[in-house]
Amino acid sequence: MKDENDYLTPVQVAVVIINTMLGAGILTLPRTTVNAAHTPDVWISIMLGGFIIILLGMVIVRLGLRYRGQTFYQYVSRITGRWIGAFLSAIVILYFMLVASYEVRALSEVTGLYLLEGTPSWAIIMPFLWVGGYLIRGGAGALARLCEVILPITGIIFFLTMFLSFGIFDIHNLRPVLGLGVTPVLKGIEPAILSFIGFETLLVLQAFMKTPEKAAKSVIVGTLIPTAFYVTTVVMVIGALTVDGVVTRTWPTMDLIRSFELSGLIFERFESFLLVIWIMQIYSTFTVTCYASALGIAQLTGRNLKSVINVLLPVIYVLSMAPHSLKELNKLGDVLGLTALCLFGLLPPLLLILSKWKAGKKDGIVS
Amino acid sequence: MTRGYSGGAAGSDQLAKSEHFTGDMELDLRIVGQCCERHSDARIRELYIGHTDIRAAIVFIESLSDNSEIQNNIIRPLMSDFAERYEGDASYAEGTVSGSFLINKVLSVSEWAAQSRVQEVMSAVLSGSTALLIAGSKEVLVLGTVQGKARSLEEPVSEAVVRGARIGFTELLSDNIAILRQQGICDELSVERFLVGKRVKKELVIAYMEEIANPQLVEEIKRRIAGIDIDMVQESGYVEQLIEDNYLSPFPQLQSTERPDRVMAALMEGRVGILLDGTPFALIAPVTFSMLLQSPEDYAERWISGTLFRLLRLLAAINSLLIPALYISFISFHPGLIPTKLAMSILGTREGVPFSSLVEALIMEVSIEILREAGLRLPKPIGPAMGIVGGLVIGEAAVQAGIVSPILVIVVAVTAISSFAIPQYNAGITLRMLRFIAMFCAAVLGLYGVVLFFLLLCSHMVKLKSFGVPYASPASSIRISDWKDFFIRAPIPFMKSRPKLLHTKNTKRKG
Repeated sequence: MKDENDYLTPVQVAVVIINTMLGAGILTLPRTTVNAAHTPDVWISIMLGGFIIILLGMVIVRLGLRYRGQTFYQYVSRITGRWIGAFLSAIVILYFMLVASYEVRALSEVTGLYLLEGTPSWAIIMPFLWVGGYLIRGGAGALARLCEVILPITGIIFFLTMFLSFGIFDIHNLRPVLGLGVTPVLKGIEPAILSFIGFETLLVLQAFMKTPEKAAKSVIVGTLIPTAFYVTTVVMVIGALTVDGVVTRTWPTMDLIRSFELSGLIFERFESFLLVIWIMQIYSTFTVTCYASALGIAQLTGRNLKSVINVLLPVIYVLSMAPHSLKELNKLGDVLGLTALCLFGLLPPLLLILSKWKAGKKDGIVS
Repeated sequence: MTRGYSGGAAGSDQLAKSEHFTGDMELDLRIVGQCCERHSDARIRELYIGHTDIRAAIVFIESLSDNSEIQNNIIRPLMSDFAERYEGDASYAEGTVSGSFLINKVLSVSEWAAQSRVQEVMSAVLSGSTALLIAGSKEVLVLGTVQGKARSLEEPVSEAVVRGARIGFTELLSDNIAILRQQGICDELSVERFLVGKRVKKELVIAYMEEIANPQLVEEIKRRIAGIDIDMVQESGYVEQLIEDNYLSPFPQLQSTERPDRVMAALMEGRVGILLDGTPFALIAPVTFSMLLQSPEDYAERWISGTLFRLLRLLAAINSLLIPALYISFISFHPGLIPTKLAMSILGTREGVPFSSLVEALIMEVSIEILREAGLRLPKPIGPAMGIVGGLVIGEAAVQAGIVSPILVIVVAVTAISSFAIPQYNAGITLRMLRFIAMFCAAVLGLYGVVLFFLLLCSHMVKLKSFGVPYASPASSIRISDWKDFFIRAPIPFMKSRPKLLHTKNTKRKG
């Protein structure tokens, strides 16, 4: 019975975007932004970053609207021709693959550090890949529904733990606002944008929408909610740990949660809660990017999605093992972010112009 | 066999081929006689109609039919003198009596049908009807004299409520349909009849609201029911297992209930009810996850208490699923994540316990499951006694003997009680099964394993569909109006629309 439930609703697309954005970023964002800006005003950078992301997302929406029901992999070759199209698709597929393996590796690092000391990373990664593979066999609908189940849990627990840290929050650590002028804020925008990577999944998701016009709304909502998450994180972390304290910590958000205790409740420390929702977020980011790359391979080679997934998961495992150290992993994250920014900041506008120009030329011939 | 009758061997070969009644009394009687050979409770009573010499015979199964009705409303009128009245009738012909005249003016039974096929007539007789054979007529009159054996209506045992109707379904389908119709006057309630089972046929009825239910859903259910291919459908559980979407899933994909009000409420939401003859358990399709935590009482009580009870059940479900797993993971892997004092006291009580926390928890969980299973089978007066013995011996003595820690006994007790707080019996079983998997995950990978287990469970639930409706709705496919009846139960004035996830024909409950 093929029915309404197999299409993605605008809400679902928004939720998938949110879940994809909220990934490894939550734990590292305070450090990366403060490192670049050296001011407590990075929350402004994050807001500006979110705004830029909305603009970039809009371009993708416009592009997708020209080719209803088609994914990026399908319409890119119609714009640029077969070979260039295949090349661009391959780059995007590789990008998604690398993001998936980056997330998996980050998961194994954090889990190994805080939860399972001494457990080999294959034991952490393999079951995770297997569970993720099981989900994405269900296709985009199942993926979107999972994100919808996870997001409310994440939201409630995240804001709860964040506000519990109010005891060690000191507003003076955030003052003065714009004390160093506007320039450092602008410097902070670049790492801020990197944590918003995830909007590019729209290239794939829009094809599954019944009403792709509403994707614009999804982008706006899908960016504003992560902005709220990130601003809360950065404000609370800097407020508690100060600018100088943030720079030296690898996972500052975890350290914030670890640095206070509340007596009188069943739990005195809440890092386990944060870890739990963080693992869930990594899971959703991983499955979405893994699905995006598997779908690309399937559509490019005309193979069955399920068999592609079977081959893709080991590849992702190998890729995730490639970085030798945490330093290299962080470097990979930065490189990935920059790639994404170039790829999805520049490519969609170019494609949009090209596509419009082509359509215009065709009209010229007809008339 | 009352009338001595024996068909010759040569004759029976010829008789076996006859599909239709002939109108020749001798031959017809032989056909019937042969059919009834193996039914020792079949009665064939020959008689002459209305003081004439027209031969007739009635055939019925003594144990299934209402004998006094046969006596008073069939035999007596037939044998009374109605020749004078008949002579004025339009269908009058010398030496015969037409079936329509008998039905219209002589026999006082409400249900009847004319049949000429032997097999159909005999199956009707075997279900309690009476067949009337008249000489010279190829049509046999099948008269409804069914008298089922049924118990009286009782309160449903498996789904007791404090507030709400006390009536439950019984084993008799006609009674069940009657109970359903008595829920209120409604000409939209469609009741469609099917016969299921290849060798032993049973009546099955699907009920839905004509103007509400999604026609695609109804068609899909009909298609699946028509596809049932089995000797005999014994209980509605058979139907459930034959038409569900995924037989590998631990989740019940049809809801079974003994409560007519529950079925009716489901029909009003646009779902479809499936009732089978011979069982008090009706099925409701499609099922979504949210229904497993709902009880009819939620709606009978005011919305605040309804909401709180829902949240309580949600908590119970989470408890029942995860508490032992969390116990294992915190004790074996992350004692640092729980408050130091608590960790100290738990680890202190565990001193001297020779097993790992997984084995310890398994011992207790398995014994409590055995205790529960045993309590189910015991006669009612012994049940509580065994509960006390089992609880005391296993709880107290096991701690005294140093096999398990007292904290674990608390954990297991809370878990067991929580699992009984789930209003759906089969959903409770699901959670109990999954609990063991969660425990193993926790034993292997600690808290991370529990999270992975939860993600796997969610992944399975979002992939699962019950008759095309995503199982995890309304948690997934977020629609604000559907959330009014999920974890919270909104005040009834606010619940204006039916669940959107069912894509009903008519979406408004009111206004």
